Amino acid sequence: MGTAQQRSSPFLDPGPVSTADSLAILHLKRDLLLPTVLSALDEKCEGYDEGRVTNTRFGSFPHSTLIGLPWGSQVRASDVDTGSRGRRGAQQNKKRKRDDRLVEGNTAVGEGSSETPTPKAPVAAATGFIHLLPPTPETWTASLPHRTQVVYTPDYSYILHRLGVRPGSTIIEAGAGSGSFSHASARAVFNGYPACESDGTSLAKKTKFGKVWSYEFHKQRVGRLREEIRNHGLEGVVEIVHRDVCEDGFLLDHSYREPENGALEQGEALPLSPQADAVFLDLPAPWLALRHLTRKAMPTTVLNAAIASSKSQTPAPTPRNPDGTNDENNLETNAIHTTSFTSPLNQHSSVRICTFSPCIEQVQRTVSTLRQLGWLGIEMVEIAHKRIEVRRERVGLHEEGARGVNASPATVDEAMERLREVESRFRLSRSAMKRQTSLGKPTDEDIKTEESDTITPPTSALLQPADPTTNRNARKAFKEGRLIHRPEPELKTHTSYLVFALLPQEWTPEEEARARSKWPIKPKQ
Amino acid sequence: MHHQLMQPHAYVALRLPSDSLKVVELVPNTTISIGKYGSFPSNLLLGRPYNLTFEIVDKEEGQTHSNLRVVPALELHSDILAEASSSVTSDILDGKTVIDGGDGVEYELVGENGEILMRSNREIIDDPSRQKLTMEEIEVLKKEGTGAGRDIIALLMQSHTAIDQKTAFSLAKYTLRKTKKYVKRFTALQVDVPLLTHYLLSEKEALKTMELREELLALMGSLANIHYSGPSSGYGADGLIDGVGAGRWLVVDETGGLILAAMAERMGILYPADDGETDTPQPPPSQVTSAEATPQDSQSTSHPAHYHRCLAMSATSNTLTLIHANAQPNLSLLKYFRYDTSVRDVDSSHPLHTHLKTLSWLQLLSPHEDTGYTEPEVIPNEVLQAWKGGKRGTYFKKRRRWERIKSVVDETRAGGFDGLVVASAMNPTTILQHTVPLLRGAAQVVVYSPCIEPLTELADLYSISRRTAFAIDPPMSVPCEDFPLNPALLLAPTVHTVKARHWQCLPGRTHPVMTGKGGAEGYIFHATRVLPAEGKVEARGKHKRRKVLKEHGANGLAENEAALGGGVPCMFDGVCEQSEEGARAYPQQ
Repeated sequence: MGTAQQRSSPFLDPGPVSTADSLAILHLKRDLLLPTVLSALDEKCEGYDEGRVTNTRFGSFPHSTLIGLPWGSQVRASDVDTGSRGRRGAQQNKKRKRDDRLVEGNTAVGEGSSETPTPKAPVAAATGFIHLLPPTPETWTASLPHRTQVVYTPDYSYILHRLGVRPGSTIIEAGAGSGSFSHASARAVFNGYPACESDGTSLAKKTKFGKVWSYEFHKQRVGRLREEIRNHGLEGVVEIVHRDVCEDGFLLDHSYREPENGALEQGEALPLSPQADAVFLDLPAPWLALRHLTRKAMPTTVLNAAIASSKSQTPAPTPRNPDGTNDENNLETNAIHTTSFTSPLNQHSSVRICTFSPCIEQVQRTVSTLRQLGWLGIEMVEIAHKRIEVRRERVGLHEEGARGVNASPATVDEAMERLREVESRFRLSRSAMKRQTSLGKPTDEDIKTEESDTITPPTSALLQPADPTTNRNARKAFKEGRLIHRPEPELKTHTSYLVFALLPQEWTPEEEARARSKWPIKPKQ
Repeated sequence: MHHQLMQPHAYVALRLPSDSLKVVELVPNTTISIGKYGSFPSNLLLGRPYNLTFEIVDKEEGQTHSNLRVVPALELHSDILAEASSSVTSDILDGKTVIDGGDGVEYELVGENGEILMRSNREIIDDPSRQKLTMEEIEVLKKEGTGAGRDIIALLMQSHTAIDQKTAFSLAKYTLRKTKKYVKRFTALQVDVPLLTHYLLSEKEALKTMELREELLALMGSLANIHYSGPSSGYGADGLIDGVGAGRWLVVDETGGLILAAMAERMGILYPADDGETDTPQPPPSQVTSAEATPQDSQSTSHPAHYHRCLAMSATSNTLTLIHANAQPNLSLLKYFRYDTSVRDVDSSHPLHTHLKTLSWLQLLSPHEDTGYTEPEVIPNEVLQAWKGGKRGTYFKKRRRWERIKSVVDETRAGGFDGLVVASAMNPTTILQHTVPLLRGAAQVVVYSPCIEPLTELADLYSISRRTAFAIDPPMSVPCEDFPLNPALLLAPTVHTVKARHWQCLPGRTHPVMTGKGGAEGYIFHATRVLPAEGKVEARGKHKRRKVLKEHGANGLAENEAALGGGVPCMFDGVCEQSEEGARAYPQQ
């Protein structure tokens, strides 16, 4: 395996076939996706004869039947003995092997394989199947382990589109949360792996590589995210930073320096700037992070005022840091500002920002702070997404007995026909009754039987219910009835408000003078 | 990346005070006129950054042109900031960072009205005579041109006899209305896909771009999984095993190139290559000079090296392949990104030159009927030597054209595409019939339609009951009457719609905007191409299962899924608990 191979992410380049030790999505049915790392070996030592197996409600799937298949393949379930492993004392085995592994560390994988007997060839089951899909930000978003509120596909699509995030861009994301937005932005900024530069293509030398700087203040989540990013082959594209950005801003310490990445600044003493082209804030109090996103040192008065004025409108829902620390922190940042200021933003381009907040109060405070800090083009948008259900609606008396249909009359004519028929039977029975009364008083049972006779069986062909067993193949239910559509029953009616704004590049009088000399205005002839 | 500074011959969108957009080409040494707001030399924008707001400064005595002044952000926000909270903002305004140009005339009335915030409109009488300034006086003022329109606004305020009766909000509205009318400002924006989409929808003929909105375009790009997939992505070598690279997308675009531009933007091939750092940008070679007016080919024959590098449609990965219904594709909107297919000498350094491949439906489906696909006669070298230069040039040109068409047609027909994006007035069924087989497994299919009917019909052709019927009793051949499309080839077909709702965000006045555009809602059909297993595959289900489902009240859900027409991915009905309801052609009892 070459280095390029190892680094290639299944999200960005899944390759033609599924490979071992790589993430795949098992598509059970719509909205039921199972992210699974395929592995040839039974690393968890679960004791299946077939090696590693994933069990689903649609059958068991030994990974040996999933590896090396073209993506998108339909895969049959296999007959796997899921019952007897426990009885064979596999549990004990498992425990012991795990302990071994702890001791041996990473090298255990190879040795473990020599210990385990060669797996049994799987036998296809009579029923059950799944589809094997490569991971995409969409399938991952639909199946990822939820740690926080997830930014869903319609939202992140619009956000990345409006932020102008393109191959080669650098984007800041804070709170990384569950990582759905990180994966989507990784796809958006990706324009090659920095390390591949040395592979020989001279063109790539000058390329600025796309980067996602993903900040998260929750330590446990940071660990999980880092692991995910590594497993998904997105190292070098996404960088998880453990940081409370409201307190400590966005500048990076030197552990994040990458020699290949020209995006970082040269000065050793200064903290490094991520040089962001775009910013996405999914924080409870985005206005607190905004003061760290300026182009130049701002006087503390302005920063305080910006936050204070936002506060004056509405009480804070959840101010994360008490006011005392706030001020202290401001003094600190102010000190930094006056001595040596490094902006986390790309100073040679306009920077776009999006904040993602569920409450209108958060929006108001954010917008107010954005205005104070000189952001322009402030706009707030809400994205409403619906999935539409398409089905055939079958209505008519002949549908009686079928499932999922409406067996009431389909037309007035049909209703009339039934009414007439009922009416005529009613008359018949009336006259019969009259005859009976003239002959002698009928018993209750007589009336009952007679009435039921009059209603069933109907004589009209129209009212004949379709016989489901005999007609099944003759009828083509898939093209009967009327094609209708409606929104699916479960809707997300509100996700969050999206606030967009833009900070233009600084334009100094010197630069203006230079531009003027370069593009002089010629007097009219 | 694309330019951050305005380049000569780039298209720039000017947002006027009235919020309308005017898109102009920045031709050096010309005058740009923005109607009643004035005019200025184009050289005053060249080399300046995007997104700045400029004010047209009045001509001074003896000056031949107006100057531009950059309006600082805080001056742009000053009225809102002032009304938001006078106490806090005054701190800021006194601060060091602020406003140079504001002379305070414009907004002092607003500032003074901080204390009348709660005034009601009970006292207000509608009467045009309250404005004492007459039309004639305003016209005179406009001619005198003082303070870039701000003086007029201030005067209008002063001359309004009942200004002190207005509520703060109505006063703000009044000021805004007058500002929009008289202030001589504009913002220079970059023409990128989001802006172009907005511009075409609001200012141009929306029908020509099928009323595509940004949010739909964005969702389409995501669902189709369009992204950069170039040689350095670490996959190139692998993908080339069968002669086909990775990251190839098939596009049917009848929006004049908007879909194509959006996809190209996501793939990093929309903007002309950046020449140097943005700090000191080199002016790109002027596009049209008289020397280049000669046919493109003479140039390339004389420079074989150059010709090789820039061979049109020659890229093997990260490409878009466009299938068009007319003899020539309509990609007129790409001119905004400096890729103009209508001029003869296309800019061969533009990434689309190599990464965009086009072919017609005739070339795709029946190439031998297309003259372009027929090989021109091969002339031996000796004969060629004897020919005149012009004739030889024509010969090479013909050969190259044929080579290009043949390679594009052959590689397209070979298939293996990573996705399909469709926005066409044609019946999508007929499009998918020919294109879905060209997709590799797990490729994404996305079809846009301004109205839902074509997509519901499409979804119905992939419905679960149809798929089930197909699996139970496969027809002799597809397409046939009952199965115009092979329903087993697409997984989880879904129809989406998405709409952005815009809000007004002013202090104390946060609400959704009051008016909007009607017209097409816009819908997206999305599905995944799959490779059905050989032979019959039966869905799994337990016969007892249904009872359990019913008990849990899940039956309704299952039915819904079954009825979704693709709600469930499984090839058989997906009441995937799978069989008894599922595997039947139509579930009963």
